[in-house]
Amino acid sequence: MRVRRRGTYDQKTVMELLVERREPQAQATALKQWLPIGALPHRSRTHRDSRQNDGVALPRLSNTDVRPIEVVDPGTDIAPDTDRPWIVLVWNDPINLMSYVTLVLQKLFGYSLEKATELMLDVHNKGRAVVSSGTRERTEFDVYRLHEHGLWATMQREDS
Amino acid sequence: MGNNAARGLLVVARRNKGPVTRIDATSYSLNIDSDDRKTLHTLLDQLRDVLMNDSSSDIARRLFPAAYHQDEQHEQEYQRLMRDELLSSRLSSLSLATSLLEREATAGKVELTADELDALMRSINSLRLVLGTLLDVDEDEFDAHLEEGDPAYGQYQLYSYLGWLLDWIVTAQTEFN
Repeated sequence: MRVRRRGTYDQKTVMELLVERREPQAQATALKQWLPIGALPHRSRTHRDSRQNDGVALPRLSNTDVRPIEVVDPGTDIAPDTDRPWIVLVWNDPINLMSYVTLVLQKLFGYSLEKATELMLDVHNKGRAVVSSGTRERTEFDVYRLHEHGLWATMQREDS
Repeated sequence: MGNNAARGLLVVARRNKGPVTRIDATSYSLNIDSDDRKTLHTLLDQLRDVLMNDSSSDIARRLFPAAYHQDEQHEQEYQRLMRDELLSSRLSSLSLATSLLEREATAGKVELTADELDALMRSINSLRLVLGTLLDVDEDEFDAHLEEGDPAYGQYQLYSYLGWLLDWIVTAQTEFN
C-alpha cells in the first residue's frame, strides 16, 4: 500500500498537474498518452514474475506484485465440509492507500481506528491479514463487500 | 489554551481549503473547479467502458478478483453468482458519481450526501486500480516517474492527483469522528 503525503499538491486543476512545466507540444502528447485509459500501453512485468514469496504458499500481493490471483485447481482433493470456520484475508498491494484501507475496515466491520490500523499495518508489513471469520455465507459476503471497495480479499478455511 | 485554540483554528482553516470538506454529519462539500470535475467525469466514463467491455484483461481481474484462490470449484460458483452483482454495484456507484459531477456548483462548491461521497470514493479508487495496474506501479520506482522528462510523467501525475483527492475524501470522513 502507498502512503499519501497530504499537502504535496496545491489545489491545481488536473490539466495543470498533467502539463505542468511542459512545452505545448509535450502537453498534447501527455494527454494523448493518457486518454483513453483503455489504450494505455501495459508495461511489462516479466522481471517481477521470478520474485519469491518468502515461503508463503498463497499468492502474496506484495508491494511489487500486482498480478491477479491465480486459481489453483484442487483436483480431486476437495476437502469435505467440516466445522472449521472460514477466514477472510486481505492482501497487500501497491495501489490502495493505507488511509483508505483503514477506513474501509472500520466501515465494513465496525472496527475501532486502532484495530483497523493494526490490521492495515499487518497487511502492509506482513503481506496479508485475517480481517474476519465465520460461516462460509458470512465470509463470502465480507469478501464481496471488500471487493466492492477495491481491496484484494480472498477466503479459505481456517488453517488450510 | 490560547495556543491550542489558535492551532485548532489553523487546522480548521487548512481543512477548509481541501478539495473535500465535511459540512455536518450527513453532508460534505466537493471543492474542485469545473475543469477538474469535467475531467473526472470523462475518466469515470472511460472506466464505465472498461467495466462494460473488458472482461478478460488484467484490469478486469483486478476489479473482479478471485474469492477462492485455493478452490477452483467454489471460485467458479462464486463468480457465477456474484460477478454480475459486483459489476452492477460498480456501475451504480459510477452513475451516482458522474451525476454529482454534473451539478452546478455554488460558490465553487458542490454539496454531497454521505452516500454520494462514498460512491465518488469507490469510483475514484476503481480508477486508481485501473491506472495503477496499467502503469504497473512500484513503490520503489514511483518517485522517479514524477520527474519531468519521464515518458509516463503525465500518467503518474494523474495517478498522484487521484490519490491526493482520495486521501482527502477519506480524511473528510474520519477526522471529525
